[in-house]
Amino acid sequence: MHGEYKIPGGKLVVVDLNVADGALRDVVLSGDFFLEPAEALEWMTAALEGLPADTPVETIAARVHDAAAHAELLGITPEGVAEAVRRALQGGAQ
Amino acid sequence: MSTHPSSSWRMYDWQLIQDAPTSPVMHMALDETLLEEVAAGRRPPTLRIWEWAAGAVVIGRFQSLRNEVDLDGAQRHGIQVVRRITGGGAMFIEPGNTITYSIYAPVELVARMSMVDSYAFFDRWVLDALASLGVEAWYQPINDITSAAGKIGGAAQTRRNGAVLHHVTMAYDIDSAKMTEVLRIGREKLSDKGIASAAKRVDPLRRQTGLPREAIIARMIDTFRAQHGLTDSAIKPEEWQAAERLAETKFGTEEWLRAVP
Repeated sequence: MHGEYKIPGGKLVVVDLNVADGALRDVVLSGDFFLEPAEALEWMTAALEGLPADTPVETIAARVHDAAAHAELLGITPEGVAEAVRRALQGGAQ
Repeated sequence: MSTHPSSSWRMYDWQLIQDAPTSPVMHMALDETLLEEVAAGRRPPTLRIWEWAAGAVVIGRFQSLRNEVDLDGAQRHGIQVVRRITGGGAMFIEPGNTITYSIYAPVELVARMSMVDSYAFFDRWVLDALASLGVEAWYQPINDITSAAGKIGGAAQTRRNGAVLHHVTMAYDIDSAKMTEVLRIGREKLSDKGIASAAKRVDPLRRQTGLPREAIIARMIDTFRAQHGLTDSAIKPEEWQAAERLAETKFGTEEWLRAVP
């Protein structure tokens, strides 16, 4: 499943994932945003992996926020990541 | 008289590297090597003008390879696909069609400004150079160099051990048809700009200036030299060797290319 969200005034956030047994699996977070350090991509991806597929967007955003607490984000926001996840889940198969 | 904050640039003995064409993978490796050399204090702050030895798609550090690149199309056209160490978007490059440069600087040069402000700061001399050629270009935050006629280029940065890499690719000319065969260009990316086609919104410098690419690069170098000072330099043998090692162990590997599948 594939979801995209263009952050207003920012960059494109893309989420590809599968759902197995009601949980997010094989999550790939990508886009043309900027992160320091680069490892923050893995931190945020790990925060999404295994989440119940019915997790409220606000909770997803909060988890991503916590995962990236020690990173600098430019052109990407935790809320934008959560919106891309929501769109992936709504859109169904790619 | 000058409105440029050139006093801070003038704190350094800026070096110019303008080398022979080299491969896309070596360009990726040279960026990391020279950033680390400046970070370690072994090399003064440097401006490097790139020459490409082959066509390339350069994807951003955080971009998905499969989402951004049509690998069959790239192979068909002999286009090499590489991943760079900075974020930002995919670029389609053919030798002679782009103007690419890197700035390797101490972070202290931009320490008192936001990341967004530092993007525009690093390229003010370029906007001045373009203006002197009759192109009115400006910064569109976060990282676009644009004009009334369309986008000209894009910048990307990363920071490491007290140094910052700021690099920019500007379109000199563009084969839009080929670009759409090697890049997968989504529509969502453009939704807040209200424009449906990425190819359409780029307006390359050849059309805007009518000048040879070399003349634009020469004006850019002259402008940098006049504003900030510039000493002719070259890549040292040990820097080449370090970059070649990185090309072999990192930038040329499938693992790095597919770091974000």
